[in-house]
Amino acid sequence: MTQFVIFIVFLGCGFIFGQMAEKKHYKSIIEREQQTNHLPVIASKFPPESGSYHQQLIAGSVVVASDYFKSFTAGLINIFGGHVTPYESLLDRGRREAILRMKHEAQQINADYVFNIKLETTRIATGRLGAIEVLAYGTALIPHQNASEQQDAQQNALQA
Amino acid sequence: MLITNLEIVPNIRIIKHIGLVQGSSVRSKHVGRDIMAGLKNIFGGELQGYTELLHESRKEATERLVKQAESIGANAVLNVRYSTSSIAAGAAEIFVYGTAVQVEPINDSTLPSAE
Amino acid sequence: MRYENRQSPEGINVTKVNPFAQFLKLLAMAAIFVVLLVIVLQFFGGALAKRIPFKYEVQLMDNLDISLSEVEPSAEIVLYLNELAARLASEIPLSEDKQVYVHYNDESVFNAFATIGGNLLFYRGLLEKMPSENALAMVMAHEIAHINHRDPISGLGGGVASMIALSMVTGDTGFAGSLLTQAGTVTVTQFTRGMETAADTAALGAVYRLYGHVNGASSLFEIMGDVQSDNKSVPDWLERFAATHPLSNDRVEAVANTAQRNGWSTEGELTPLPDAFLDWLNIN
Repeated sequence: MTQFVIFIVFLGCGFIFGQMAEKKHYKSIIEREQQTNHLPVIASKFPPESGSYHQQLIAGSVVVASDYFKSFTAGLINIFGGHVTPYESLLDRGRREAILRMKHEAQQINADYVFNIKLETTRIATGRLGAIEVLAYGTALIPHQNASEQQDAQQNALQA
Repeated sequence: MLITNLEIVPNIRIIKHIGLVQGSSVRSKHVGRDIMAGLKNIFGGELQGYTELLHESRKEATERLVKQAESIGANAVLNVRYSTSSIAAGAAEIFVYGTAVQVEPINDSTLPSAE
Repeated sequence: MRYENRQSPEGINVTKVNPFAQFLKLLAMAAIFVVLLVIVLQFFGGALAKRIPFKYEVQLMDNLDISLSEVEPSAEIVLYLNELAARLASEIPLSEDKQVYVHYNDESVFNAFATIGGNLLFYRGLLEKMPSENALAMVMAHEIAHINHRDPISGLGGGVASMIALSMVTGDTGFAGSLLTQAGTVTVTQFTRGMETAADTAALGAVYRLYGHVNGASSLFEIMGDVQSDNKSVPDWLERFAATHPLSNDRVEAVANTAQRNGWSTEGELTPLPDAFLDWLNIN
């Protein structure tokens, strides 16, 4: 009986807080995506031929956890098969958040572009924990006029 | 040290490829963090402790990559890749690898003229 | 070359569902699936297990060599219990290929049960509370009826089959799995309660034929009902649904109904237990 009550409480908490957190997260993601839209993120390993840029490896990562309600529903879906919809949105949020964090780093170093973006998703296993880590990384291209000091440093480093 | 995940770097000429360099870091969080993460699993949301942990591991792995590259006389690492594996409950390995090269800057005048 | 970011519309990578409605639908589907699975397996597993010859059951129990009574029991009580069992077995009547043997255990557990190989076990805790031989005969006949119906082996067969299937279905589903296992277990108890009711009915007939009346047959259930209502933690309706045995009060009522239906007299002289009965129980 006690077990059952605990289960219902967990499920309720998972549903209410989990759904709230997801809505809030999506809202923030969409807002920030619009704010950073002017910075192109390109999945190509060939940098623009014109212009002179300094390169820097940048990354953004996030670990997002599933909630009790999502895990429970996913367990049920596992019996019948089909779209595991609770995890679809979790992964979607994780990827977009990781890209946004990477873009944030790019903006801080005044990059014009991020090239050759790679995304990587890993399940973080701690017992029954359902959490994933998403890593987004790429090469930021910083125009020379913005990074003349860094450029000098790089030249020095190469000559040394 | 130039670290990039591109293979082509404008303004720079590759003199020599000098081998594969790697950096790795296996870390785990203390039990307290794991318990907190377990609680978070009821409510959902970001596990900031783990985000930080993996961020630091990645930094350390990259530092080790740089150390390897320096010790074999490279001044740039190209085509860098990251990989993360959760190897046991609560422990993750961050692995980073790339090609160590010796490069030299090209004079701007030698570049093909931009349109 | 121009580089720009075009924002793709929302929701292409995420299937749009109402999470709560999806949850309810899945839960209902899973519960129905598990219940059906257990019903089918209980039915076929139980029916198949009943086809195992009784002598294999006896052999199995001999090979397992499980000692049912830890201490050497007093010879008198074992003799008395087995003599009563023999009288009831011929009234049930126990089919000829089967036999029963009664073990006595000197522990204060308020219980008695029948297991495979025709073995019955009575605990001191239960025997101490016996008001009359009629009450003891009712419990004894109930356990013998279980043996006659092959309930221990069929419960084992059906139970093992459904538990294996349940663990296969729910093996990889985490929290959801443990809840579904509960649903499966409750389904199994519906079967065991059916067995209990059938055994009660058969036992009452045997008691009537032995004593000529059924007075005192339900007195132990009355005692059990009193004990249970003193430390009650779950409401009646839940216990009726989830317990392995019918409620004691329901059994008292069922005994009265069966007696009335068959025209068995509920009036008659109670046969007392032997004078030395309580002395036999205490080994020291």
